[in-house]
Amino acid sequence: MKRITIVLLILMAMTGVGRAKVDLVTLPSRDTVQLTIYNSADMTLVRESRALTLKDGENKLQFSWANTLIDPTSLEMLPKANADKIDIANLTFPPRVTNLGLWNIESSVSGKVPVEITYLTSGLSWRAFYMGTLTEDEKTMQLNGYVVVTNNSGEDYENAQTRLIVGKVHILDEIAELARRQYPYGRPGVVPMPQATPTAPMEDQRRARVVMEALAEMPSGAKEVIKEGLSEYFLYTIEGTETIPNGWSKRLLSFNVDQVPVINLYKYEEERYGPSVVRFLSFKNDKEHKLGETPIPGGMLKVYRGVGDQGHLSYTGQSSFKYIPVDEDVELNLGTVDNLVVEPKVMDFKTENYRFDRRDNVSGWDEIHTFKIEVRNTRDINVKVEIKRNFNTQYWDINNSGDFGAFEKVNLNTVKFTLDLQPRSVKKFEYVLRTYHGDREADWRP
Amino acid sequence: MNGKRNILMVIVLLLICSAISQGRIKLVALPERAATVIRLDNPQATLIEEERVLTLQKGLNKVDFSWKGVSIDADSIRLRALEHTDKVTLLSVSYPPNEAALVWDISSDSDYAETVRISYLLSNIDRLITYKAVADKAETFVDLKSYLVLRNFSGEDFDKARVLLDYGEAFEQGIDHEETKQMLFLKSPKVPITKVWKFDAALLPWDPEKLENQNVGIPVSYRIVNEAKSNLGEFALWGGKARLFQDDGHESTIFLGEDTTGLVPVGEKMELYIGDSRDIVVTQRQMQDTRVVTHKNNRGEAVLYDTDEQITAKIENFKDSPAMLTMIQHIPGQWDMENCNMKYEKKDANTLEFEIQLPARSQAGPAVKELKMTYHRRHLRPGAEPELQIIR
Repeated sequence: MKRITIVLLILMAMTGVGRAKVDLVTLPSRDTVQLTIYNSADMTLVRESRALTLKDGENKLQFSWANTLIDPTSLEMLPKANADKIDIANLTFPPRVTNLGLWNIESSVSGKVPVEITYLTSGLSWRAFYMGTLTEDEKTMQLNGYVVVTNNSGEDYENAQTRLIVGKVHILDEIAELARRQYPYGRPGVVPMPQATPTAPMEDQRRARVVMEALAEMPSGAKEVIKEGLSEYFLYTIEGTETIPNGWSKRLLSFNVDQVPVINLYKYEEERYGPSVVRFLSFKNDKEHKLGETPIPGGMLKVYRGVGDQGHLSYTGQSSFKYIPVDEDVELNLGTVDNLVVEPKVMDFKTENYRFDRRDNVSGWDEIHTFKIEVRNTRDINVKVEIKRNFNTQYWDINNSGDFGAFEKVNLNTVKFTLDLQPRSVKKFEYVLRTYHGDREADWRP
Repeated sequence: MNGKRNILMVIVLLLICSAISQGRIKLVALPERAATVIRLDNPQATLIEEERVLTLQKGLNKVDFSWKGVSIDADSIRLRALEHTDKVTLLSVSYPPNEAALVWDISSDSDYAETVRISYLLSNIDRLITYKAVADKAETFVDLKSYLVLRNFSGEDFDKARVLLDYGEAFEQGIDHEETKQMLFLKSPKVPITKVWKFDAALLPWDPEKLENQNVGIPVSYRIVNEAKSNLGEFALWGGKARLFQDDGHESTIFLGEDTTGLVPVGEKMELYIGDSRDIVVTQRQMQDTRVVTHKNNRGEAVLYDTDEQITAKIENFKDSPAMLTMIQHIPGQWDMENCNMKYEKKDANTLEFEIQLPARSQAGPAVKELKMTYHRRHLRPGAEPELQIIR
């Protein structure tokens, strides 16, 4: 559906009569269109070029956008030639008409003039999602990145150069809310009604349906996605042009990298994950991992694992991840597992170093816990295990023994043990934790 | 189009009726509105000044000024004779009951066609200012444009009026009721900008690792100084919404973000928050917080204590360009710094500001800096510790 129309009105001064006669002259069509779609906000910057036929003198250009989601306050027109001879005097939103703007243009040239019209619209969106396929030994992963572009803007953009912005822009008003306003800039003394919270489930349903359609429709050809950094954002430019009719989505391959080395990382932290071990898949967005050209926009990753030599797959799990800058580590949470076990046990407990106040009440003491931690890798691959222990106090000393791997104090009351385990192996270590209580806190030294 | 004319003016010739006047008699010539000025220099209220020619007769004249469908502050209405200032005298102003009107009693020593200027505050007509700035690819300057948006919802059409702002030239512009007009009124190319990244420890999460799948964005702003060096500085920049774009090097632009600015007087800075950087990561941790009891009461309870505290903040720049991060730390109450590995400026008693220069990412990985500060808080009383107060 073409809902944005442009009408060029030429003001012909009639002699004698003070009032001017307005004539409709041409309906210039869109020559090119470029879409720059954001995903941190429902917003797209549209830039279209059209050729206007201007007359020497006063010209009026009518721009209307009924049933679209254009923010009228963002409308701007710039002549691309003869800029010094064409003065865009004003943009008027006439009374008692909606979705219509009128540019008053004073031109000292007549003939075709290319102009560029830009505006912000709502209703176009994009998201990233990923598919990972692990090798059978889970040492490397094939990683495919996709982008899905969805057009619910009410307007068909044909043969549009499509660009996507990765980044978090700061916006004050929802474009959709600005688009729905009765008066583009509101009216004095009336604070524009805040947008009613969007009916998220409805939206989701619609999105889900659209996405399913998109999945059914395979991308026709692998187009290249050119990526470049701009300010705090990344700009993805999809090669060539795209036609995404209103209501449709399109999936495009963003990148395809084979054999990304991955680490099978398992984490144990009672306070955060409960008594189970959580599996993570870890890699780094850098050259060593055949990535690192650009940041990776956040999205959902579905992980599969190759099974046998017939190319069969088994589904491992999925994880959504955040934006990953270049050189940053990625840790994908694939959920709890049972095939790796971390078992902490208190093996001994005692108290000592009692202090008493003037009334002979207990005012200070030490508690000494001896913990034994057993880590069992029942899988037939190498794994890395991170165990975090949180203490309720900052007054503590620790004494580790056994096969405790790398030890690190994370913050004032948390420590971390990092262990590497061979396939089907067990590691055990112990630590003695002394905590200082009451008046004994004063005797603690960092 | 039928114009809306809701402000009426009638000269009532004083027909000497008997003392019992049943209602008011309205009569005679309707003086046309001549030169009209819409004065928008006060953001709170719009002043309309209009000139009309009154046909005054020698003696007492009653001039009736009434309006409907518009909102005029009756107490704001003023009348000034422009020609025979000392011969034409305004005697009194009366407000008729239950009417949007007032009546001037004017005495004139002769018959005059007198031009008067009537001024009043009219509601629901105002102006907004918006800004559009396009930054160059290197983010060193912006081409700044400012638009004036006239909004007229007053109920009155203005065919032709002189529109006055608090600066710049007056211009002629007509505006109808319910009409909005947007016009360019300031164009300043190449306004230098400074890009600022700001981490405020009181506003942002400390440890991104503890957030499941969420990036902590470091707010990024552009700073513009309203001064001659910036191709500005002629007048205060009014507050309004600013939209920022950036040249993408492909003869196009991307939208960077938007923010509102307050009034920026000459010499002052405008700071526009455009978006968040996820390529600078700050991981702040408290590594020590030890209580040192300095006094106990005779029941043996601690009544006064100091602390030994240590904060570390690792800053990683994953960008391929350098950045200057402003880091703000807060320490409540009385304190003294024992050791700090970076220079800071004490902004107030409890606020420390660090300017941290971050080099670009290198072959070896992100550029990393670590702030480590060890300080003591003094004379704390259990249960009455000072709260962190952030004053902005």
